[in-house]
Amino acid sequence: MNPLLPKPATIVDIIRETGDVKTFRVVLDDPEEMAAWTHKPGQTAMLSVFGVGEAMFCLASSPTCRDWLEFSIRRAGKVTSALHELEPEAKIGVRGPYGNHFPYENMQGKNLLVIGGGIGLAPLRPLVNFMLAPENRQHYGNIEVIYGARSYGDLCYKEEVFRVWPQAPGVSVFTTIDAPEEGWSGHVGFVPAYVEELKPSPENKFVVICGPPVMIRFTLKALGELGFEEKQIYTTLEMRMKCGIGKCGRCNVGARFVCRDGPVFNLAELKELPPEY
Amino acid sequence: MDSKLLKKEKLLPLLDELRKEFLLVAPVEEDALLFYRPVESVAEIKLGSGRSVVPPKEWFFPQAESLYRYSTEGGGLVLEETLAATPAVLFGIHPCDLRSFAVLDAVFLQEPVDRYYTLRREKTVIIGISCTAVCPECFCSAYGISPVEGTGADVHLSEVGAVYMVEVLTPKGKELVARYQEFFEDQVAGVAEAKEARKETLSGQFTVRVTVDGLPAKLGSLFDHPYWEELSRRCLGCGICTYVCPTCHCFDITDVCRGFEGKRFRCWDACLFRDYTLHTSGHNPRHALYQRLRNRFFHKLKYNHDRYAIEGCVGCGRCVALCPVNIDIREVIATVRGLGE
Repeated sequence: MNPLLPKPATIVDIIRETGDVKTFRVVLDDPEEMAAWTHKPGQTAMLSVFGVGEAMFCLASSPTCRDWLEFSIRRAGKVTSALHELEPEAKIGVRGPYGNHFPYENMQGKNLLVIGGGIGLAPLRPLVNFMLAPENRQHYGNIEVIYGARSYGDLCYKEEVFRVWPQAPGVSVFTTIDAPEEGWSGHVGFVPAYVEELKPSPENKFVVICGPPVMIRFTLKALGELGFEEKQIYTTLEMRMKCGIGKCGRCNVGARFVCRDGPVFNLAELKELPPEY
Repeated sequence: MDSKLLKKEKLLPLLDELRKEFLLVAPVEEDALLFYRPVESVAEIKLGSGRSVVPPKEWFFPQAESLYRYSTEGGGLVLEETLAATPAVLFGIHPCDLRSFAVLDAVFLQEPVDRYYTLRREKTVIIGISCTAVCPECFCSAYGISPVEGTGADVHLSEVGAVYMVEVLTPKGKELVARYQEFFEDQVAGVAEAKEARKETLSGQFTVRVTVDGLPAKLGSLFDHPYWEELSRRCLGCGICTYVCPTCHCFDITDVCRGFEGKRFRCWDACLFRDYTLHTSGHNPRHALYQRLRNRFFHKLKYNHDRYAIEGCVGCGRCVALCPVNIDIREVIATVRGLGE
């Protein structure tokens, strides 16, 4: 087994989420490998566009989805732009899954607060859908989702955010956009302010948060004031990566490699690390 | 451990025999600089050589290597691994570089193992050689390395008068010595003692005494110290220290392609380069040179120790010798140990 060798895969569907984000549904070409694929919420995988390069993305699909893997990708650099050029049926490479995961085992019997900004919902979505899967739902408490973006058009996963999740028992979804917009009757304002307003209780709860650094920073402040402890709050880090298996060096934060020891850390763990992320 | 003797005049004939069976990689001089290269003839070998410019790690972890080929012809995708290793003998490795292999092993042999490195490592027999002199930049003793010890080699040679004392250190080494037994003689009295005496002489020759006790813990409290910014003012960020470092293992992975055919390869990279950690978003967690220089010293002197329980520096002195602005890791260690918190 050569961990650097990708598995050939095919893009079977492309869903346009926002102006610059697409979700790619990918199936490994070897049916046995596809059947054997397992990942945990929060893990990542390396995607290859041959002739362009490789980049690491979070898995946006739940481990309980066995038909395909999903990756939600914002057009930003070389590999992501090349991916955005592709059409269904295109061949790519996949290797992974990599890294640790959200502690869904320890989250059993607890409530979950999900806080996402823009495409930052992508790594959190597998956890929500994993918990909502019929075989798992009984093990978890209530789920609150606070999700914001610059505009309505920048909210990802609209079908789930506005229809599927709010209809699921024990799930509340609170959406917000940065500025008023015609046709938007929901909340307007930044995520941290919305969190302050909603005042979620820290009782028997885990928090998972991902989004722009500035959103995270101010939201953490708000959560601290609401009485949340560092060990209750999990986030997922992004770093430039090449190998994904702890050899190529660049994703280190202190002595930890984000590709192997991360990407998921709780705040208490992050405080132990040098602030280089 | 077995000990044998090899008469000096028999070394080249032995290597010549080895060359017929193995790919022989040995120190050679190119433009007055020393490298480890596969040799066609033993006459190319530079015997009695000191430290190479580029460390012998490049035999296991080449500066650039192809990982696999791909073809996307007709909208399909065919991947073909380019994994190859020839049985080889790596000759003339000094104790500091022998230790460096253990440091690299901790990275590349850890699960999931790096197949490229592992395959070459498995198929290579290492013949170490004791130092006969200490370079002005050497400080291997700080890391408990002795210039006459062969830990990490399969077979280790120490020059003692007209002979080499031969230490057979691993099963691989034992097999090699047994296979070429006609070249070796039994150990005689006095040789081991002479080797020990050489150790004494050499350890008196280190120009700078370096102590690294407690360094990983001490550094932990100095992350925010202004020293790193001061030190970085003369750093050019050229990365030569990483390219000549026997324990640096960072690499980049990239594509070269023409039409539908291409290959993915990897090549050495350096934490001192700005785009090493540059995110697609434009964010760079180590945007300033001082952060990158600090990361390099922390990696060598702390992180490697914390992560793998083996020191990340072997005291070879290459970075000291080649830094264009005289940043000297020995000086950094001494300064850091003296800094208040």
